[in-house]
Amino acid sequence: MEALNALLHGFGVALQPMNLLWGFVGVTLGTFVGVLPGVGPALTVAMLLPLTVKLDPTGALIMFAGIYYGAMFGGSTTTILLNTPGESASIATALEGNRMAKAGRAGPALATSAIGSFVAGTLATIALTLLAPLVVNVALKFGPAEYFALMVFAFITVAAVLGSSTVRGLTSLFLGLLLGLVGIDSQTGQSRFAFGVPELLDGVDVVVLAVGLFAVGEALYVAAYQSGLSEKMEKMKGSLLMSAQDWSRSWPAWLRATAIGFPFGTIPAGGSEIPTFLSYATEKKLTRHPEEFGKGAIEGVAGPEAANNAAATGVLVPLLTLGIPTSATAAILLGAFQNYGLQPGPLLFETQKDLVWGLIASLYVGNIILLILNLPLIGIWVKVLEIPKDLLYAGILVFATLGAYSLHQSWVDLLTLYVFGLLGFAMRRWDIPVGPAVIGLILGPLAETQFRRALSISQGDASVFVTHPISASLLALTVLLIIVPWLARWFRRTSS
Amino acid sequence: MRRAEIALSIGVLALGIGVAAVTASLPSEGGYAGIGPNFIPAVVAAGILLLGVWLAYEAFTGGWRGGAPDDPAMRGEHAFRAGAFLWISAGLFGQMALIGWAGFVISAAVLFICVARGFGSRRLARDAAIGLVMALGIYLFFVKLLNVNLPAGWLEPVLGGAGI
Repeated sequence: MEALNALLHGFGVALQPMNLLWGFVGVTLGTFVGVLPGVGPALTVAMLLPLTVKLDPTGALIMFAGIYYGAMFGGSTTTILLNTPGESASIATALEGNRMAKAGRAGPALATSAIGSFVAGTLATIALTLLAPLVVNVALKFGPAEYFALMVFAFITVAAVLGSSTVRGLTSLFLGLLLGLVGIDSQTGQSRFAFGVPELLDGVDVVVLAVGLFAVGEALYVAAYQSGLSEKMEKMKGSLLMSAQDWSRSWPAWLRATAIGFPFGTIPAGGSEIPTFLSYATEKKLTRHPEEFGKGAIEGVAGPEAANNAAATGVLVPLLTLGIPTSATAAILLGAFQNYGLQPGPLLFETQKDLVWGLIASLYVGNIILLILNLPLIGIWVKVLEIPKDLLYAGILVFATLGAYSLHQSWVDLLTLYVFGLLGFAMRRWDIPVGPAVIGLILGPLAETQFRRALSISQGDASVFVTHPISASLLALTVLLIIVPWLARWFRRTSS
Repeated sequence: MRRAEIALSIGVLALGIGVAAVTASLPSEGGYAGIGPNFIPAVVAAGILLLGVWLAYEAFTGGWRGGAPDDPAMRGEHAFRAGAFLWISAGLFGQMALIGWAGFVISAAVLFICVARGFGSRRLARDAAIGLVMALGIYLFFVKLLNVNLPAGWLEPVLGGAGI
């Protein structure tokens, strides 16, 4: 019941007029930027981060929760109407949603996506409310060794286990870890990899890396390899209303998808990609209309969209209770916390009750705003989609450079941004995932701190990591995650 | 293209060597923990070197596993357009050079024009107009509303001092 009281108190914070306004602004801006083709949630959050510099932390984070949800919904609108998934989590939606739009049923597709996102987002937020205090209780017993083991576990699942190639995922992770080392060492004051450049002494900012990889890299890539390839936008025809049959086919899919998406979000499994595909596969198997799949089946939109939102909420559980980001977007949100000198984790639930529960309450509010805002405004989002590519990317880059420049008012940050852009270009072209790099940058320094703290407590005895049971089991699990797929492959090869 | 994969693998190796070299110059004393600020950099250097070797091995033995297909059409691409790449790069460098001197609005407009050109626009006047209006809007919003300092540069007589 303590959680309920805390939540009620949180609503008191979230419903203050100014905070409500920031939530509203966040959802609107998040949707607007998220709708832009080629702009995924991670980039949306990174580009809009500079807007909040002068806000108080509570207002800023409430605005960010709105941006996060808005960006998700904006992305699905683009996918359904344009068939260019802005992120891997939208690919499943593209399969059916775009086909529905082609068949003149864009309205119901967008409606089931919006209402499904609302249902899944709200149910997942309830689950978050109930689960977070439990995780906090466990996390309070964690020492530095346990945290370090948990972070190693997150690194390995995000970089090595998911994605098409272990070696390329790890390469991306290590690039991120290296960038995380740049600047002043927090324990000794030693400057590392800064080469005397004052802008680098502060460390590499997550916004510069994310915007460089996602915006500059993407612009270079699209211009050099894909410009002139035409895209066909589907017309927004017919009504937004879902028929009785649409409803009866959608709601079981929403509920199943929430049950799939939320748990996947809470573990370090790379965010929304796996649960959206799992949900799609589930719906395809259970449907009474298998002949429609591949031609625009509404379950195939309702499920993945709901799973996407449920997972996006689930991701907030490890982020808020343990301070561990498990997706690139969550890593940027963690960067936003750090800008205010806040370190998410169990202690934040003690020291910043207002902020944490205000944020959680604002997730409920954000879902409602999203629902009432988006369906009526769909006409505007469609107009946004019609912005020609040359103006679109020019505008994105102006905004991207603004975020980097406003850090130190220095052109050096713009040069860093360009270097990250080249990196992002190469990674996009040669299929190296960028998510692990962003997570490595943000989580690497935290992992190093915990590692050295654990060794300080044990007076340099490295066995702490294997003698503490929680830390030992997490590390053992990590080793298994690496070894088992290898062994499986090896056995398959030798048996055939 | 295998050649690019080999080059990138060697780049990763070279980066690992560079990181190792810098790490060697970092102090190692670390108080109670027994490890200093050079320990994790050494781990990262070793990791990057190892990954470089692994990438190079894959590149030399049939290409990166599960990598991007060789055929551009299968990747949904056309041939590399150097002009587009250079226009965008020029815009970003132009902004770096101009921002402290000509100010945010002008440098952002230059960036806007160059990027639009890189994406195939031939309507200079339209791009310049949109770029200027957008940059001016951002400038006023950030400086007057958010109190974030951005350089006014050449437009200072018109815009007044930055940051109020």
